[in-house]
Amino acid sequence: MSETTTNPHGIAEGHPDQRPMIVLEGVSKTYPGQTIPAVAELDLAVPRGSIVMLVGPSGCGKTTTLKMMNRLIEPTTGRILLDGEDVTGVNADQLRRRIGYVIQQVGLFPHFTVGENIAVVPRMLGWDRQRIRQRVDELLELVGLHPREFRDRYPRQLSGGQQQRVGVARALAADPPVMLMDEPFGAIDPVTRERLHDEFLEIQRTVRKTICFVTHDLQEAIKLGDHIAIFTAGGRLAQYDTPEGILSRPANDFVAEFVGSGAAVRRLHLIALSTLDLDEIATGSSPTAAALVTVPLSGSVYDAVDAMLDAQTSVVAVVDDDGQAVGALRWNTLVEKLQLRGLHP
Amino acid sequence: MSVGGVPGLITVSRRRKGMRSYADLLSTPLIVLLGGAAVALWVSTRTLDDIEARALQPSAILSDLGQHLILTAYSTLFVIVIAVPLGILLSRKGARRIRNVVLAVGGFAQALPPYGVLVLIAFAPAPFGFNPFSVIMGLVAAALLPVLRNTVVGLRQVDPALIEAARGMGMSGRATLFRVELPLAVPVMMAGIRVALVLNVGTAVLATFVGGGGLGSLIVRAQTLNRPIVLVTAGAIVAALALMVDWLAGVAERLVRARTS
Amino acid sequence: MDPISYLRENVGTVLFYGEQHFLVVLCAIALGSAISIGFALLVSMDAGSQRWSLDWIVGAVREGALVVTAAALTVPSLALLVLLLPLFGLGAATTVTALTIYSLYTVLRNSVAGLSSVDASVLESAKGLGMGRLRRLIWIQFPLAWPVILNGIRVATLIDVAIAAVAALVRGPGLGQLVLTGLSRYGAANAFNQVLVGTLGCLVVAAVFEIFYAVVERLTVPRGIRV
Repeated sequence: MSETTTNPHGIAEGHPDQRPMIVLEGVSKTYPGQTIPAVAELDLAVPRGSIVMLVGPSGCGKTTTLKMMNRLIEPTTGRILLDGEDVTGVNADQLRRRIGYVIQQVGLFPHFTVGENIAVVPRMLGWDRQRIRQRVDELLELVGLHPREFRDRYPRQLSGGQQQRVGVARALAADPPVMLMDEPFGAIDPVTRERLHDEFLEIQRTVRKTICFVTHDLQEAIKLGDHIAIFTAGGRLAQYDTPEGILSRPANDFVAEFVGSGAAVRRLHLIALSTLDLDEIATGSSPTAAALVTVPLSGSVYDAVDAMLDAQTSVVAVVDDDGQAVGALRWNTLVEKLQLRGLHP
Repeated sequence: MSVGGVPGLITVSRRRKGMRSYADLLSTPLIVLLGGAAVALWVSTRTLDDIEARALQPSAILSDLGQHLILTAYSTLFVIVIAVPLGILLSRKGARRIRNVVLAVGGFAQALPPYGVLVLIAFAPAPFGFNPFSVIMGLVAAALLPVLRNTVVGLRQVDPALIEAARGMGMSGRATLFRVELPLAVPVMMAGIRVALVLNVGTAVLATFVGGGGLGSLIVRAQTLNRPIVLVTAGAIVAALALMVDWLAGVAERLVRARTS
Repeated sequence: MDPISYLRENVGTVLFYGEQHFLVVLCAIALGSAISIGFALLVSMDAGSQRWSLDWIVGAVREGALVVTAAALTVPSLALLVLLLPLFGLGAATTVTALTIYSLYTVLRNSVAGLSSVDASVLESAKGLGMGRLRRLIWIQFPLAWPVILNGIRVATLIDVAIAAVAALVRGPGLGQLVLTGLSRYGAANAFNQVLVGTLGCLVVAAVFEIFYAVVERLTVPRGIRV
């Protein structure tokens, strides 16, 4: 068996800050009355400050794996290390107060106000009132809900999207280093989900948590994850890699099939426009810059292609945050640019 | 949310299939058996004097029991005859306002003591009076609401889509009522009838105070004799009867339920 | 004499019996609710353990208690009262005991139903946030179940108000005394009025309780779950 600082997946180690935040070592779970394990001999290391997406078909053990990390489900065998500490034997309630937890059904306490919901863990940790109040307002701001407007509302007075924002704020309340999220945006309509994704990434840029995120939606996994762990039935890991790696180098047939057709198109999501060598916008030519369809520089090639097809045009202008055009992308030079980028990543 | 009331009044949440229903089925006879055995054991350790022996004569008890059952049967029958058609009328669309009043008052009326109702009716002019007829009327008055209420609730909870489908197939209103709504409402109605039956067995114990006889007479005799042994035996017999009637009604209810769902 | 003038002349007596009636029911409901709710809390604690055998035993105890208390509610009031006589004697003690027994099932059933109907996702997130069993019970399960429990207490009270009238037959306190006196004076002046006032008085007592519970509900049900 390996030492605590090694990990089976070759993620950088050594310096404590480089040490993985969560390590699963030979973790199995067999439910009572069943012979086939839901999760079998799983090794997994989650790097500090990154988002790891647990993906797979239903019944693949991804949720079981997630719930073993905060011991809502007790592993049958194996060790789970949190920041180097074996947590399989510690008090489960104390452990969970150090780990944020967000679920699909949100599970806000209906008899508590939004503020009281967020304050639950700080209250259990014995923070003083002033500090709790400050923290609640800070978190509401962070998730984009105006404290004065939302603090004293009850959950039933919120929309689904707002409820899940509060759910995320509640999980972040005591500033836990780790967050576990079980299909948090699964029950939310596609438009709102898209927006929540962007906000979620924005929040993560500020808080830099170590996040495990269960989803069955590969699209979501590619968009949000720094790493993706694809599970096959029986809780085995089929591939654990970056989104790019999963899309371009599926480790086996299962992953290839799971990724399905269109992997190349999906990979366009991963190529930021800012990494391309954009064309200049020719002045005086027709159509003029002002009339061009625009996409933001922060977007991906996917967004640019989508905009082109949508407007049935062969050129889009790429604009920065101030709306200033920084370049153009043309349909007929796109493949060339991708080739070029492939050669000089 | 309205969970509560007399057992069986709203039964949807309580009666589940599986292990529980069998435990339910066996428990009442078990309780009666154990209680009966305890009382019998206690009585057998004592030697009865003449008065006690006479009071506990099987023939006397059986005659009281017979009266009691007759009172219960008639009153329950009348309750059904009155409350079911009334409930059907109240469940129709046009009766919404009266229905709501009846349902609201129905809960509150549980606080009306059957004892008082019984005596009041006996005090009314002829044909009422201290006779079995006013006893039966008193019992009917005391047990009417559960059946009425469950009939209305049972009919109202039938899926409107089913009724619409029936009408869509060309069934008349009457045919829909008899072939779709009523059969589907039967389990809930049965639960109400069971409650009424149990209420009637209990209230009939008080019939003796207004000249109606029944097992209450046994208790009153025991009380006047001031013999604890007779009193406890009388109480135990009445309790056992009520439990067994409830049990039989429960079995019947289950059979009906099994057939309709 | 008509009932109204009877009432006017005997307002003191009627109020006295009414107050007795109210108090005897209040005692029984307080006792019965304390027992039932306490028991329900014990057997409804969100286990979340993987000790299946323990869960099974707790479940069996819970179902058993429901069956036994339901059976008790089936026993006719006069029968239960005379069965309790050898133990508690004539008067208030027997009355309160019997009424307590009658209140058990309704409160217990509503408590168990209320506590177990708390949304699973709410309990899961409570657990995921690190709340222990006891804290989940006190912070989450009980407040959310409270409206259902309170409704059980309300219905049990209505049932007890009616049954308390019979207690007069074992010299219990309350409005039943008026009915009993009226009955024993059949044909005499005011006998009918006594029975009428004694019977309808129970409805007045019940109405007082209803008002009381409406106030309690207003004060104790958290705003977020008020309908």
